[in-house]
Amino acid sequence: MKKLVFLTVLLALVLTMAVPPSTIKAQEPVDIEVWIAFSDYRLDWTKEVAEAFNAMFPQYHVEIVGGMSYEEMFAQVSVAAEQGALPGVIHFNEASTQDARDSGNFKPIAEALAGRTEINGLPVNFDDIIEPTTAYYTHNGEWTSFPWNTSSAIWFSNMNFLNAAGFDTPPATWEEVDQYCEAIMALDNAPEYCWTFPNYGWFFEQWLAHQNALFVNNDNGRSDRATEVAFDGEAGIAIFEWLDDQYDKGYLYYSGAQGGDSWGTVDQAYQTQQVAMAAYSSSDTTLYTRMGEENGFTTVASFMPYNQETGWTGSLIGGGSLWLVDGLDPEVEEGALTFMVYLSQPENDMAWHKLTGYIAIRKSSNEMLEEEGWFAENPNQTVAMQQLAQSTVTPATSGALVGGFPAIRNAITAATDRLFLTDEDPAALLAQAAAEANTIIEEYNLLNAP
Amino acid sequence: MIISPLLLVLAAAILGAVVLGYVFARAANRGLIGAVLGAGAGALGSLIFMIPLDYCMFEAERKTIDVIFGVMLIVLGVLLVVAPVAWVGQKLLRRESLISATSQPTQGTFRQWWLALPLLAPTLVILVLFLYYPSLETLRLSTMLSRLGARREAFVCLDNYTRLFEGTAYLDVVVRTLYMSFFIVVLSMALGLLIATMAYLPVRGASIYRILLVWPYAISPAVAGIIFLLMFNPAGGIINYFLNNWFGVRPGWLNDPSLAPWTIIIASVWKSIGFNILFYIAALQNVPVDLIEAGAIDGAGLLRRFWHIVWPLLSPTTFFLLITNLTYAFFDTFATIDYLTPGGGPLQSTTTMMYQVIRLGVDNNDLGKAAAQSVVLFLMVIGLTVLSFRTGGRQVTYGA
Repeated sequence: MKKLVFLTVLLALVLTMAVPPSTIKAQEPVDIEVWIAFSDYRLDWTKEVAEAFNAMFPQYHVEIVGGMSYEEMFAQVSVAAEQGALPGVIHFNEASTQDARDSGNFKPIAEALAGRTEINGLPVNFDDIIEPTTAYYTHNGEWTSFPWNTSSAIWFSNMNFLNAAGFDTPPATWEEVDQYCEAIMALDNAPEYCWTFPNYGWFFEQWLAHQNALFVNNDNGRSDRATEVAFDGEAGIAIFEWLDDQYDKGYLYYSGAQGGDSWGTVDQAYQTQQVAMAAYSSSDTTLYTRMGEENGFTTVASFMPYNQETGWTGSLIGGGSLWLVDGLDPEVEEGALTFMVYLSQPENDMAWHKLTGYIAIRKSSNEMLEEEGWFAENPNQTVAMQQLAQSTVTPATSGALVGGFPAIRNAITAATDRLFLTDEDPAALLAQAAAEANTIIEEYNLLNAP
Repeated sequence: MIISPLLLVLAAAILGAVVLGYVFARAANRGLIGAVLGAGAGALGSLIFMIPLDYCMFEAERKTIDVIFGVMLIVLGVLLVVAPVAWVGQKLLRRESLISATSQPTQGTFRQWWLALPLLAPTLVILVLFLYYPSLETLRLSTMLSRLGARREAFVCLDNYTRLFEGTAYLDVVVRTLYMSFFIVVLSMALGLLIATMAYLPVRGASIYRILLVWPYAISPAVAGIIFLLMFNPAGGIINYFLNNWFGVRPGWLNDPSLAPWTIIIASVWKSIGFNILFYIAALQNVPVDLIEAGAIDGAGLLRRFWHIVWPLLSPTTFFLLITNLTYAFFDTFATIDYLTPGGGPLQSTTTMMYQVIRLGVDNNDLGKAAAQSVVLFLMVIGLTVLSFRTGGRQVTYGA
């Protein structure tokens, strides 16, 4: 008897599940999967924006998948590509641009838009995007990926120490950094060290761009595929010699941490006031300003100090962009493009900037922020944008396009490490890093050049 | 230098013939059969590695080191085929059973022998998919120039291996790995034993102490790494803050090349000590109290009692812990190194072989070189384990 009841119930359950789904929903929204390389509050914000997007465009359903770093994202995408399981949109950092272009997995945005100026009612308006970002992500004038988070390297100063040493404004040149440090380290309550920066190749690239020097040949890989590096010239050596000098004088703090995970040690040193100044990414402007407020000092952001011998040409951008996967269904592609454009609309652009400190990529956004007095209330937030706005766009300041970029950055990071901890000649160390980098480029081109 | 493949096959055949002929001659005076069998086995064995690689290391433009590697691979292949044949042949010639006499089951024989395969199938499938196939793929990748996400691969023969012998960079990494692993294993086990003996004493709250002592083992290596990073940060970390206030010193825990490995060793030992304590406490509970009492009555002091009674009874546990700690020191310390000294430490002073493999493969996207180094690491750990079994295994006394 029990068996009979059990079987009947089972049969009933199976039958209810067999009800065709089309009778439940009237219309299926198109699913678009977006992979984002964030795992913190930035990911949360993106998910909120996706929800707002889904409400605005019920024919689309965007799903955000996050929790990976940029390196993990790259590995994940490579594996998914082999299996043919790529999502609709992928978020890569700027250094992976050449790799992404060569991979054959992505469709250039310009091609997908095919000259349209608006999509699903949203204006595209590429002319509104700031110059340096445009220079970085376009290829022969055509957009290959959609810009999103753009940052620049700036300088944070703990004004308690600077004021005590008799300075009102942060240092502007390398020479001034030296002067400031001499005075600051002579104070009674001098910090342990004068300044620090994360040992990550991006900063070296910034100082190179200031001096209008190329990172790789062929106009930084933009006029033609890069075949060898160019950072071991005079400009590069000048950077190394200055850093070495600062370290030997005891002004520069080096925590021993290298690469992408080295930023935490800089945060800690700055927050505990063991250093007076730090070179850092503008993407954490909000964080550093708050660190000051919570610990009894004022943080003032300023342009990164430059080499007074060569002057200042411009700054590089950092951050990432969104790539459209090739071979998607037309509706999915349309939805993906709409989402990318939606994310960059001025309201979202401004909200993203206020939350993080990443630069608002639209000129109109920056004007609106100015009008509403945001920059007046938060002077630190305007620095990165100003730095980029005042940059002259040259091949050097457009940023390098080269394959195997992360590996090359690691070579420079290792060379910087040796620079501080040994007595080796800066020029020799750079030459060694250059040789290593050239091998990487050679192998990369061997495996990737069409 | 070009060496004809035919010549190599012939040489391998001769090698096989000599070895097997000698073994068979010693066993039952059947040297001729042994030689013939050996020649066939040797020739076949030499082909195991050479067919997939297509004798690439003997081509004209190759260097001496490539030839040496090639010869080593041929010898390895010959041994891989000849050794089992010799073992089986020896048993047959001496009319011994192939199955050891003591392992013959006397009751409860599994009647449906064919049922074994489907029952084992799930485990075998998982092993093949997740262990054997990736291992073969690693071997294949180690002969390639391969980058993650690249359009194609390029065959480079044994370049990824021979390049490790150019210069002393890789040797430094190997030596550093051995030196750090040695201290991690020895310190973790010694301190573990010391603390276990103390925690085993009948004091009040002993069980609470034991729980607290084992706790660090349960923390994820990443979490432990971040905690230690913030504590050990030379500027801003809490350890240097107190050391500076009390003693006026500020050791460069993370940025001094001679001190950084020790920071890693300390962090690794702290993480793994709980595991050792747990096992040693369990082992101590198996030491009969009357033996120790008898020793005390006979006038043996504390140390003597420990060394002559307790230590030999702990030897099975010690041996087991040696192997597991060795595996931990080689493979599981990666997360600690990555969080405490990202990038491999000042002047690469904390770059162990495992760290180098992941750095090359994941950070630099260079799969071929990473695969080659991972094969070398694998061989080294196998070698050390075999060594441990041979030397330590003999000294272990099982049973009270």
